[in-house]
Amino acid sequence: MKRVGSRVPVQLLVISTIQKQWRREISGWSIFTVLLGLAIILPIAIVLSGLFQEGPKWDHLASTTLSSYFTNTLILIFNVSVISIAFAILPAWLVSTCDFPGRRFFEWGLIMPLAIPTYVAAFVYFQVPDAAIPLLISIRSQFGVEAFILAEKELRYGVLSCTMAGVLFPYLYISARASFSQQRQAMIEASFMLGKSSRATFFKVALPLSRPAIVAGLSLILMEVINDYGAVNFFGVPTLTEGIFRTWFGLQDRSSAVRLAGIVVLAVFVILALERAQRGRARFSQSSQMSAPISRRKLKGLKRVMSVLVCLIPLAIGLLLPVSQLITWSAMTYREVLNPDFFVQLGRSLGLSLGAAVIITAVATLFAYAAKLHPAGWLRFLNRFSTLGYASPGAVIAIGVMVLFGAIDRLFGSAVVSGTMLAIGFAYLVRFLTVAYQPIDAGLSQVCGRMDESSRVLGKSPLETLVRINIPLIKGTFIASAILVFVDILKELPLTLILRPANFDTLATTAFGLAKEGRIQECAVPSLIIVMAGASGLAILYRLSSFTEKR
Amino acid sequence: MSLDGISADLTHRDRNRKPISGILSSRFPLDLNGLMSDCFASMINRLLLLLASVSVFGILNNGHSGEITLYSHRHYESDDVLYTKFHEKTGIKVNVVKAGADELIERLKAEGENTEADIFMTADAARLHLAKLAGLLEKVDSAILDERIPANLRDADGHWFGFTMRARILAYAKNRVKPSELSSYEALTGEAWETRVLARSSSNIYNQSLLASVIAAHGREKATEWAKGIRGNMARPPQGSDRDQMRAVAKGLGDVAIVNTYYVGLLANSEDKADREVAEAIGIFFPNQKGRGTHVNVSGGGLIKHSNNKEDATKFLEFLASDEAQKSFPQTTYEYPVVEGIEWSDLMKSWGEFKSDELNLTKLGELNIEAVEVFNEAGWE
Repeated sequence: MKRVGSRVPVQLLVISTIQKQWRREISGWSIFTVLLGLAIILPIAIVLSGLFQEGPKWDHLASTTLSSYFTNTLILIFNVSVISIAFAILPAWLVSTCDFPGRRFFEWGLIMPLAIPTYVAAFVYFQVPDAAIPLLISIRSQFGVEAFILAEKELRYGVLSCTMAGVLFPYLYISARASFSQQRQAMIEASFMLGKSSRATFFKVALPLSRPAIVAGLSLILMEVINDYGAVNFFGVPTLTEGIFRTWFGLQDRSSAVRLAGIVVLAVFVILALERAQRGRARFSQSSQMSAPISRRKLKGLKRVMSVLVCLIPLAIGLLLPVSQLITWSAMTYREVLNPDFFVQLGRSLGLSLGAAVIITAVATLFAYAAKLHPAGWLRFLNRFSTLGYASPGAVIAIGVMVLFGAIDRLFGSAVVSGTMLAIGFAYLVRFLTVAYQPIDAGLSQVCGRMDESSRVLGKSPLETLVRINIPLIKGTFIASAILVFVDILKELPLTLILRPANFDTLATTAFGLAKEGRIQECAVPSLIIVMAGASGLAILYRLSSFTEKR
Repeated sequence: MSLDGISADLTHRDRNRKPISGILSSRFPLDLNGLMSDCFASMINRLLLLLASVSVFGILNNGHSGEITLYSHRHYESDDVLYTKFHEKTGIKVNVVKAGADELIERLKAEGENTEADIFMTADAARLHLAKLAGLLEKVDSAILDERIPANLRDADGHWFGFTMRARILAYAKNRVKPSELSSYEALTGEAWETRVLARSSSNIYNQSLLASVIAAHGREKATEWAKGIRGNMARPPQGSDRDQMRAVAKGLGDVAIVNTYYVGLLANSEDKADREVAEAIGIFFPNQKGRGTHVNVSGGGLIKHSNNKEDATKFLEFLASDEAQKSFPQTTYEYPVVEGIEWSDLMKSWGEFKSDELNLTKLGELNIEAVEVFNEAGWE
């Protein structure tokens, strides 16, 4: 009794010393996180600071275009969600649970549309309404103007929705497939043994289990849809984001524009909150990873054919058709576009994207580790706020960053930071931190806390523990996150365009400049190279992820 | 988020297996150090410049002659050729930041007195006026500019100057419309043109400026009626670019499109055969020849108030008004020269001479907000 009693206080003593030591160091980490978090929030906060001022044109907006901004945004959100679900869920289920011709090809091919920038896809697909003009004319002469107006609108909104879903659905596909392939054989087998058909198993067992993953994938797609500017403008579907720029620059009413931006951010916040509520439950249901993976069923007859089709259609719309069009155009023009300057731009694009991706991922790791060390509620809240960048239109972030860096320059009395790579890099950080943060946060939370404790008991600092223990364990996640950020930056346009130093072109800005001049055929060459570089990155991502192991 | 699955997989896998290291370096055989140092060179240069300027009491800041920086909305490759020519002639190097005019104005505001920019260039007059109102520009005293550029194509206070002119004209289907059926922008609101008119979105500055000129001519009320009338006669809701309006005319969706002249030139000289066929199928009509004249806009520029090199910047503005530069615009971008007596390209000659609206272009800037409001009220998306 006595011996036991004397042992306990010793253990407690050890623990309490560690805790004291931790508390001291933790404060360093949390200060770091807070400062960084505030720096990241600042550009958006600057723009949103006018949120509560009544803009002079708000009444005008409310009585004219505001409702159409809302309707268009909602229609697009609905359409793109439905199409993305159709493009992503069933193919994800098929490649993870069934065997059919071309399965391996589709498994990685369906990630690839992510490499195509939305604005490039929009240029390619605007040819559809253009090609449909003879059909529309015959509708007009046969059924009258009313029918024509309806058909034209349905076609245009439909093509725009398909275009956006075609290049964005991989976000959903990636998360759904990961979720399906993690599900336990036992559950699926139990469902079959209880007499459920494969359809019932899909709807009653697999789908509900994957709901959090599906919501997570969809929320990324919706953020992309909400803050798109180029494609919606080109297709004549003014959304809230177009409203922001029109109000700010056209009506010269910054306050009302900010209020619109506030509405957009609020909408995204609601989406994120829903997604987090979903994920909270998901942690509970995620079971041991040691169970047997699902063994794939061989499909026969009509089902084989149907499966191939189900996978081929999204792949064709998201990747094969746009890329073949880009190749055709490139063949017409590559001789003029491929000059030494072009290779300098290629090097810059790759270097900038790669460098920024690594730095952003490293910052995300520090951020996530701070949250792990100090799981206080307010810190998590701050982290959540710092994800707002991904939800805001690029040009809004750019303006915030310009104002912030302009103020810094004034302190120095000279242009030290404005128009430098630092400005672009920081803006990328604000915009894309969350892309790296989310997977790394998830990865770190899977590294057993006891390993950290052991390392700390053995006298290592938190930084050493992070570098020596955590990072080696999540190396794959680190690389995967960096690749996703890399692909995003490679495609990025509005931030780069406005923040860049003089005489600085990337592939994306060159493609945009050519497209703006109407030289669509020439714009195909840089676009194609963006796609190829992005696709190579995604191919590495695919190789890294473990679903290839189940051969 | 969506990546949780992947990361979970990866984390799990990493425990069992040595992760693939060096993938990035093997797949992207890039000299990262070299590239990044290239990327950050400009920043480091500037930091050095700061240190130097601090240590020599700002001498460097005042006199870094031989280089000017343009913030330009113009995306034309042929402009780069002009910059090179200017460099060869004067030894002054031209650096460019190309981006949207509205965003560049925000950047100039944010950078304030520390801006690197010496000249602001846009493809329309309204946003030059906005830049002037924001206090970003400064008066240029240049006898050359005042003499060579017509008064209505430059700011009365010398804050900005137009260097090329573009006319917003009617492109009609040659096989369905006789030029005699066309007369003015106003006439397109008539019943005869129901479902036959094509125009792009009202977010576009050229449409906003056109409407501003209509407001200047008729007042807001009549202009609202006009915008409603045009919207009502449209073959389809506004979408795409000026080129897409002409494509729709060529395909027979509508019969007349409101577009800028130089887009016709770009189509006629496109790589794509289909585009050249579109240019073949359409005719060019300059509206309002019997009244105030066809609406014109300019692409122009002004001197930045906080420029560190006003002397060289003024030289550059004067160069843009020189015969050499003026002659190049019609040949490369199919824009009209602003200086009298400069030869047009053959294509532009084939369109013929025309009378242009002599409205002072400052009005386009003054009426721009009103134009956007009228568009919103008229339901022209």
